[in-house]
Parts: sequence; C-alpha cells; structure tokens
Amino acid sequence: MWLGAATVAALMAAFLSIRPAHAAIHHAALVIQHASGSVITRCVAFAENQITGLQLVERSGVPYEAQNFGSIGGAMCQLDREPSTVPPGCFGAGPYWQYFHRHGSGWQTSAFGASSSLLHDGDMDGWHFAVGANQAPGNVAFSSLCAAPPAATAAQAAPAPNHATPIPTATPAPSPSLEALAPSDSPPPNAGLTSTGPPRQPPKATALGPWLALGSTAILLLTLAAVNLRRRGP
Amino acid sequence: MIRHPLAWGVWAIAVLAAAFIDRNPYLQALLLLVVVNVFLPYRARRRVGTWKFAVALALVPILFSAALSRFGQHVLFTLPAIPIFGGRWTFDAVAFGASTGLALVLTVAVFAVVQSTVRSADVVAILPRPLYRAGTTVALALAFAPKTLTAFQSIREARQLRGQRTGWRSAPALLLPLLLTTLERALQYGESLDARGFGSGRRSRYRPLHWSAQDRLVLVASLAAIVAIAVLPGVPYNPYQELVPSVPNPDQLLAVGLLAVPAVTASLSRVDHAPHHA
Repeated sequence: MWLGAATVAALMAAFLSIRPAHAAIHHAALVIQHASGSVITRCVAFAENQITGLQLVERSGVPYEAQNFGSIGGAMCQLDREPSTVPPGCFGAGPYWQYFHRHGSGWQTSAFGASSSLLHDGDMDGWHFAVGANQAPGNVAFSSLCAAPPAATAAQAAPAPNHATPIPTATPAPSPSLEALAPSDSPPPNAGLTSTGPPRQPPKATALGPWLALGSTAILLLTLAAVNLRRRGP
Repeated sequence: MIRHPLAWGVWAIAVLAAAFIDRNPYLQALLLLVVVNVFLPYRARRRVGTWKFAVALALVPILFSAALSRFGQHVLFTLPAIPIFGGRWTFDAVAFGASTGLALVLTVAVFAVVQSTVRSADVVAILPRPLYRAGTTVALALAFAPKTLTAFQSIREARQLRGQRTGWRSAPALLLPLLLTTLERALQYGESLDARGFGSGRRSRYRPLHWSAQDRLVLVASLAAIVAIAVLPGVPYNPYQELVPSVPNPDQLLAVGLLAVPAVTASLSRVDHAPHHA
C-alpha cells in the first residue's frame, strides 16, 4: 500500500521534472482607435506562451477601466480615458469599446471578452470606440508595429509607465512603443534594449515527446482492457 | 475488488474533474478508455445501458452548437438569412459541441460505473448515525423503481401470453395488478425491516466495512490525480480560439493514468470464482 503511494509520488516527480521550460520571448500588438479617429498602437513583449487580451492592454500601459461580467469575461468600459467618465453599467447608451482580433488581413469581432481571449506570439488585438456593431478599426499590419523583436532581456514583461501619444489614423505609423520594440529614430534612453540581428522566429518544430507519451498511454490502456476482457468478471 | 463507497466517490470526482476542467479531446478520449477499463471487471454485475443513448447524448450538443453558434473562423457553409439557423455554420462550433458531448458521455459513463460497483447497502453502512434512517429509506425507494419496472414488464408478458392486448387502451388492466404487486412488495419490505429490528434502539454493526489495501490505493491515487489536475492545469481546449487541440502534458497523462488504478488492481487480483455477493 505505502509502497504503491511512494511509487506514485516518484512517478509524479519524474513527470514534473521533464516539463519543458518556456524560454522564448513573444510579441503581440495592440491597436486602439478612438471615436475621433486617432489611433494609438503598442507592441507588447511577454515571456509566457499566451496572455489574455486584458493582460495585453494592462502591459501596454494604456489606462483602462474594465468590469467583470462573470463567465462572459471582462468588458472594457473606459480605455485611454475615453469616455471621460465610466458610464453607469459600463456601456452607456452611445458608442462603446468594440473588441476585434486580427485574422489574416482583416479584423474579426471577438467571440470573447478581453479577459478570456488568448493571444499568442504574433497576434494582434484591436479596440474601436464606435456606435453600431462590427465597426472595425483601420487596417494596420503587425509587421509595422512589432517589426524587429530584439534579443530577450529579463525586464521585458514588467509593466512600463504610461505615456500614450495619439497619432492621426491616416498614417498608421508605429508610435513610440513602451518597450521600444518598434523601430524608432531616437530610441528612448530608458529602454535598455538593443536590436541585435534578424527577428527571432519561435521554434515551430513539432515536439515528438508529448505525442509518444499520449500514444503509449493509449496503448497501455488498450492492453489493460484486453487483459481485463480475458478475465471473468466477479 | 474495490468495495468502499468513499474510494469510488473520490475516484468519480477525480474523473469528472479531469473531464470538465481542461476538456482536451485527447484527454477525454483517454478518460473514456479509462472508464471503460474500470467497468470491465464489473461487467457481469450489470447490463450496460444502450449505446444508442450515449451516441444521442454526444450528438445532440453538436447539433445545438452548430445550429446556434455563429462564431469561429472555419466556415463549413453559409445559409441564407433564416431567423435562427441562417448565417455561417462553423466547424469551430461543431468541435465545441463535440467536446461538450464527450464530457456528457463521460459523466453518464462514470455514474454507470459507480452504480454497478457500489452497493447501496455499503453506502447506508457508512452513513453517519443521524442520516441512517433517511438513507435506508432512500436506498429502499431507489431499489423500488427498477423492481416496479420489472414487475410491469412481467405483467405485460403474462398478458401477451394469454393473447390479450397490451396497448394504451389496456393501461387500466395493466396498472391494477402493478399497484397490487407494488403494495405487496412494500408490505414485505416493512415486515422484513421489522424482523431486523429497524428503528428500535441503537444501530449495531454487523460486518463493518473495512478499508482494504486496494481501497486505500484507489483513494490515494484519485486524491493525487485531483491534486495534479488542480495544481497543474493544462491549456483549456477552446475551439473558437484554436481548433486543433494541444497535445496533453505528461503530468496530465499521469493524472489520467492514476485514474486507471482500479482497473490495474482488478487485472492483478486473483480471479474470484466463488463471489460472496452477486
């Protein structure tokens, strides 16, 4: 009995020790379009495999007010100080913050609230303060926001102070990004990041290990079923 | 054989947690395999319910999800603007429904296994004293339903053998003997409870339920699986975000493996040719 428990504990420890470490730095872009048409953009670096849309906004440093609606997720009530006061019930009557994901070369309405939608490396989120459904923000290419990801440093994931600077929507040029990831003529002195070499691609090779583990577990279970089928029931 | 109801209860909770927290289809398929494995040594005790019910349970959520959800990026086809069903039918919605259906099938399968492995007498035996009478009553009432169904079927068969009709029109002629049979059985139950001294003085413990080594092993393994699921959650499967499910981590596979312990102990134990309780 205790031998069995010890075996289980040892197996568990063995499995835990072979969990892969997450090393690569990932990037996601953020596009915020105000009702006036002005657009601000951000490129956010993160160490995790994925972050939520709300985390993206939070780490970009843009001030926001969100309200949690339980299982539906969080709703954006105020973003970058628009509207000037949070309306009662979060949404108010007029325009509201509409939430989009970049898919291919266009925007698509998010099926989720910002707190439950997930962004991976290379994803882009769009926010538009507008009236009526499906008012997508203007077209911005991801490569123009997160052009050359620099080498990884430890300070990447920390939230930076906010200095949002709206720019006209006609020229969706990269704004001075908080982590100084976007190409810029005069890099801010506090960035401490240098662009070295070509953009690093995350390793795309499919790992064979998990598949082998899955397959062997299935085969073990099938063998067990065969053994139990051959025996008479009680 | 694992007999203790608490061990089975913790096992069932662990399987349900594994089935519902991540909803990864690979894990759900493995879990279904585990549940079938655990059921196999006990298959002689109970006839499995119709597999058609399980298939229907899996298909209905797919149909509902595909017909009512308009989200997702992988469009199957687009219907013209009919009020409810019009619009884009997406493969994402089908996958979401399939995942829900699989979780439902797993739930029903887990309860079917627990129903065939746990004896109601054992459950009543481990109840705390204040609940003992209520528990006995509930156990008797639950046992009544299948027996009434059997009585109904035998009355119908008797009528068929006599060449009488068994349709809806003959319902009164069927119901009266059924009522009489049920009343007679209730009186028998009451007499047998009386003969066993039910409700008179303190409750004695005849053949108390012990924790066998297998019971404890299953309990420890199931608790470990619950802890593993709670502490090391995987990426929840959400077809609207990523259609292709991620391959489960080794520790998730470990949790599933721990849940197969009842099947492993059954396959290692001696074959019991003279069962104590059939």
